[in-house]
Amino acid sequence: MEMDLSLDRQSREILATIKNFARKHSLWVVAYGTGCGAIEVPPTMTSRYDAERFGIRGAATPRQADVLLITGYLAVKTLKRVIRTYEQMQDPKYVIGFGSCTINGGMYWDSYNTIKLLDMYLPVDVFINGCMPRPEAVISGFIKLQQLIKEGKAEGAKKYKENLEWYRANQKKIIKNWRMPEYNW
Amino acid sequence: MELVKEQELADKIKRTFPNASVKVQRQKRVIVELPNDLVHPFLSYSKETLGFQHLSHISCVDWLEEKQFELVFIILNYETMITVIAKTRIDREKPEFPTLLGFWPQVETYEREIREMYGVNFIGNDDTRDLILEDWDNIPPMRRDFDTVKYSRETFFAREGREDAKDVRETISEHSGEEIPDLAKIYSVRNS
Repeated sequence: MEMDLSLDRQSREILATIKNFARKHSLWVVAYGTGCGAIEVPPTMTSRYDAERFGIRGAATPRQADVLLITGYLAVKTLKRVIRTYEQMQDPKYVIGFGSCTINGGMYWDSYNTIKLLDMYLPVDVFINGCMPRPEAVISGFIKLQQLIKEGKAEGAKKYKENLEWYRANQKKIIKNWRMPEYNW
Repeated sequence: MELVKEQELADKIKRTFPNASVKVQRQKRVIVELPNDLVHPFLSYSKETLGFQHLSHISCVDWLEEKQFELVFIILNYETMITVIAKTRIDREKPEFPTLLGFWPQVETYEREIREMYGVNFIGNDDTRDLILEDWDNIPPMRRDFDTVKYSRETFFAREGREDAKDVRETISEHSGEEIPDLAKIYSVRNS
């Protein structure tokens, strides 16, 4: 992004449009299933619903991926791993909250060990409602994300960097024994 | 259905362990309630003599009012496919029980889980690492005096607007004009 500063406003906009167009059509999802919702991902990716026609495909490691799908409930123990995964991902990166558990706790609203609001710990770009969302809903969530990227509004990663202290405070509130590396993106 | 095999087994157990209370619950299921010190002899006898080679599960029940924990050992015989459920009660104030590691090595996991979830200490099972929980510093969560709703409210954030936990059925039916079925009306806030 430093390169952009030397350009005038119009060129920056054109460049951003091209970048966003490219980003929008290659969303690589890190292969990390956190809850029961992960069972909806294989049908979404395979031949019947074929998410690859939208440029959505799996990526083996967080460093290759653009999208972190939080598929369902998050135990405190899993949240730790999810934060590490998210912080290892390279820009541009987006988070999709999947299912009611990430929105308000869902059926685990009174659990001693699962978080209720995902957006207090990670910047969520798109929420997909449902318990569980069907592959159609998953794809519609991805299309919503593509629209946001196209409009340049999917700025979760930027928000995370700017409000890192607030997110860290929330994360440290429930992860008592904080032994995590600091990544310097 | 005749319970010949089950009754035979129950009689055999009753003859060998007169202190145990034996009950045939249904087909292929026998329940044995034992005093603490008879658990190991009984499981040893079942495994070596009666052919109950498979340990299916160890579980725990919290009898808060009676100040007791109940340990439940479920064993299976592959030949007759009869399940025996051996139960014993231990003191809730000082929950301790000798380990079963000598009989089945796989009990280690079950015992660690019960130690974590109920706080029952298995003497002889020295693995004190976390199994499922991480950095847990409250009372064991599966005990009945642990208030999970209160803990959840204190620890995690809640979405605003759902504090009243209102039944959304009525709102939906008002918007769409849809009838609430009779079976759902009992959950309705306004009717109660």
